[in-house]
Amino acid sequence: MGGEEPVRVLLADEQSLFRQALHVALESQPHLVVVAQAESGCQAAIRARHTAPDVAVLSATLPHCDGIEATLRIRQEGQNCRILVLAEREDQASLLEALEAGANGYLSKDSPLHDLIHAVEAIHRGETLVPPWMLGGLLSELIRRRREGARALQVIASLTRREREVLALLAEGRDHNAIAQELVISPETARTHIQNILGKLNVHSRLEAAAFVGRYGILQGLVGAES
Amino acid sequence: MNAVRHHRPARREGVWLRRAGAEVVLYDSQSSRVHLVNDAAAAIWDLCDGDTEPAEMIEAICQLSGMPRPIVVEDVERILNEFTTAGLITWAEDSQRPSEPPE
Repeated sequence: MGGEEPVRVLLADEQSLFRQALHVALESQPHLVVVAQAESGCQAAIRARHTAPDVAVLSATLPHCDGIEATLRIRQEGQNCRILVLAEREDQASLLEALEAGANGYLSKDSPLHDLIHAVEAIHRGETLVPPWMLGGLLSELIRRRREGARALQVIASLTRREREVLALLAEGRDHNAIAQELVISPETARTHIQNILGKLNVHSRLEAAAFVGRYGILQGLVGAES
Repeated sequence: MNAVRHHRPARREGVWLRRAGAEVVLYDSQSSRVHLVNDAAAAIWDLCDGDTEPAEMIEAICQLSGMPRPIVVEDVERILNEFTTAGLITWAEDSQRPSEPPE
C-alpha cells in the first residue's frame, strides 16, 4: 500500500484501555491511521459523520446504542464507510444482524491482533469478511430466507386484488370497520375477506397477517397491485 | 452444467469435516482418505444437505460476497464436480433419492 493515502479508521468501544490498545496496534501499521474514537454507539455515528472514516471498527456491545444500531445509523445517514463489527463472541444471530444492518465484516474479540489488521485491510479493499467457519451457516440462513420470501410471494399471488387491498389496510393496523369504510364495502364483507386472507396466509390472527407483510417487506407490492 | 442445478448434492455418510487451526479437511472414513479444502469449499460442503440446489448456493454466495455471478457459478460448479469425482457427495433428484450425478 506504499505511496497510497492511509486508511482512515474510526474506533468505537466502551473501554478506553481496549480502544487505546487497538489505536496503538493499528497505527503500528504505516498504512492505517486512527482519525476518531468513540465510547458509545451514538458517539460513533456522530464521529463517523464528522470525520468520514474509510473504515469504522465498532464493538457490538457499545452502550446507549449498540454496534448494530450504530451501523444502521451510519448507513441511514448515507455514510459509505466500510464497517467492521467486533463481537464479544461469534454467534450466528449477531453475525446476521450485523450484516443486515450494513456491516461489511464481523470478527470476534477473541481473534488475534493480526486478524483485526487483516480484517480492516480486507474490508477496505471491498471484501466482505465473515469468519470462515460461520460461512456455511450464514449461507444456509440466506437460502432459507430466500425460500421463505419466494413462498410468501406465491401466497400473495394467490390473493385476489380486493384481498390484497384489505391486507394492505390490515398491515396499516386498520380494523374491519375502518377497512369497510375505506373500501366502501360492508363490515361483513370486510370480515369475510379477512377470514379468507388468514386462511390463504395460513395465519391465525390479523396481527400475524400484518407481521407476515412486514416480515417479507411486501407492502409496496400490495399497494402497487391496487393501482 | 445446467442439469446439475436441478439436482441437490448431499454429503455422503462417513465423510466428516474437521478444522485444525486454519486448515480444513474432509475425512473419508470409508477410504481413510483426507481431502484438504479451502474455506469456500468448506462452506459449500455445509450446504450439501440433499435439499439445497447449486443455483440456490450461487444466489446466496452472490448476495453475500457481491462477487460477479459468472465467477461464483464457475467456482461452485468446480467445487461440486471435485466433490463428486472424489466420491464425497451423492446427488438427490426431486424425489430426494440419492443418485448418480447428472451428465
